[in-house]
Amino acid sequence: MAMAMAALRREGRRFAPMISPRPITALRSSPLAPSLEDECPIGVRYISTQVVRNRMKSVKNIQKITKAMKMVAASKLRAIQTKAENSRGLWQPFTALLGDLPSANVKKNVVVTISSDKGLCGGINSTSVKISKGLHKLNSGPEKETKYVILGEKAKAQLVRDSKKDIELIITELQKNPLNYTQVSVLADEILKNVEYDALRIVFNKFHSVVSFVPTVSTVLSPEIVEREAESGGKLGDLDSYEVEGGETKGEILQNLAEFQFSCVMFNAVLENACSEQGARMSAMDSSSRNAGDMLDRLTLTYNRTRQASITTELIEIISGASALEG
Amino acid sequence: MTLNLCILTPNRIVLDSEVKEIILSTNSGQIGVLPNHAPIATAIDTGILRIRLNDQWLTIALMGGFARMDNNEITILVNDAEKGSDIDPQEVQQALEIAEANLRKAEGKIQIIEANLALRQARTRVEAINAIS
Repeated sequence: MAMAMAALRREGRRFAPMISPRPITALRSSPLAPSLEDECPIGVRYISTQVVRNRMKSVKNIQKITKAMKMVAASKLRAIQTKAENSRGLWQPFTALLGDLPSANVKKNVVVTISSDKGLCGGINSTSVKISKGLHKLNSGPEKETKYVILGEKAKAQLVRDSKKDIELIITELQKNPLNYTQVSVLADEILKNVEYDALRIVFNKFHSVVSFVPTVSTVLSPEIVEREAESGGKLGDLDSYEVEGGETKGEILQNLAEFQFSCVMFNAVLENACSEQGARMSAMDSSSRNAGDMLDRLTLTYNRTRQASITTELIEIISGASALEG
Repeated sequence: MTLNLCILTPNRIVLDSEVKEIILSTNSGQIGVLPNHAPIATAIDTGILRIRLNDQWLTIALMGGFARMDNNEITILVNDAEKGSDIDPQEVQQALEIAEANLRKAEGKIQIIEANLALRQARTRVEAINAIS
């Protein structure tokens, strides 16, 4: 009798490795138990609870990890959010003075795509890349051309595949040191020096709230284009009414102004994108820990069912063995 | 008639208040701005900005940027700004000495330019303190 039970237990263990664990990413509505039984060869009445227990342990670990990642993202978000809000006031005077003209028709466009270095942050990087590609298509034609400047690993991975020849500059590992204006202005300087441009379009995710990130495009025009648009009237027509002092020529001032504008807008864009990244990561990790919790509940039910089935089987064996001995 | 003055840096808003008159130093000299000035857009050099509110002059050290004046609203955008009252005299003296020492040690064009810049910034801050007292 004891040997019978031991044999059953051994049989269960022998057949256990043959059951390959299903990937956790697939969430099925049908309970796990019947599918696992289908894979067992006929003759084994139950599967070992060990298998289910292993799966439960791994799902629980995943849940713990994603929960921790969510909290880390939340604390990082709080730190960056104040900085981003403070930097918002900086580029508004520029827009008031020089206007933000996404519709400016220029020959040399440069699209600056800002993305994150690390993954697991939801869909924000894909939306930025989609918009950059859209801008590229919109602005490529007989006389116009568009080049990319890429900040961040994720956009690099996606854009290198199909637009390799159009990429001018790739910059990664921005967030190694906490973001500050000096670093970004050095970056902006690099870009301005190495890339010829008539208009710079910066693509980033603007942080509206913890659950909403809106992909935005900010346009910075080069001084010559600003002059051209100012002469044609419209929004920039007021620019001429300003007396410009503090330098030898108006052109020099406008040049400095354009560079300063670019570095301020870049600074704000990089901060907002960092905020959006942390917020998106928070919500992604939150939903994945919730999914892990659901899966854990279902696995627990399966575990209890298999445990009870094995106990019932043992009891039946004992009783039938006992009655066979008696009768 | 007062001017609405707003001083912004990349990290924070330094000042946002109404003043009677300002004197700011641009690349081509100092200009004084009174209410109802014509609209101007100028570049600002590293220097001090003097503000008068109610017959009292305040100094603020600015580290280069732009200013724009339109309809009694002045917006100043600078890389960094410090109020004269917020600057610690001893710390600034030390910074000035360090900057001067760096300039003497500097070799190579880039280092000389950086050292010069640091020196000018330190001098500006010293001026800001001296101007109030």
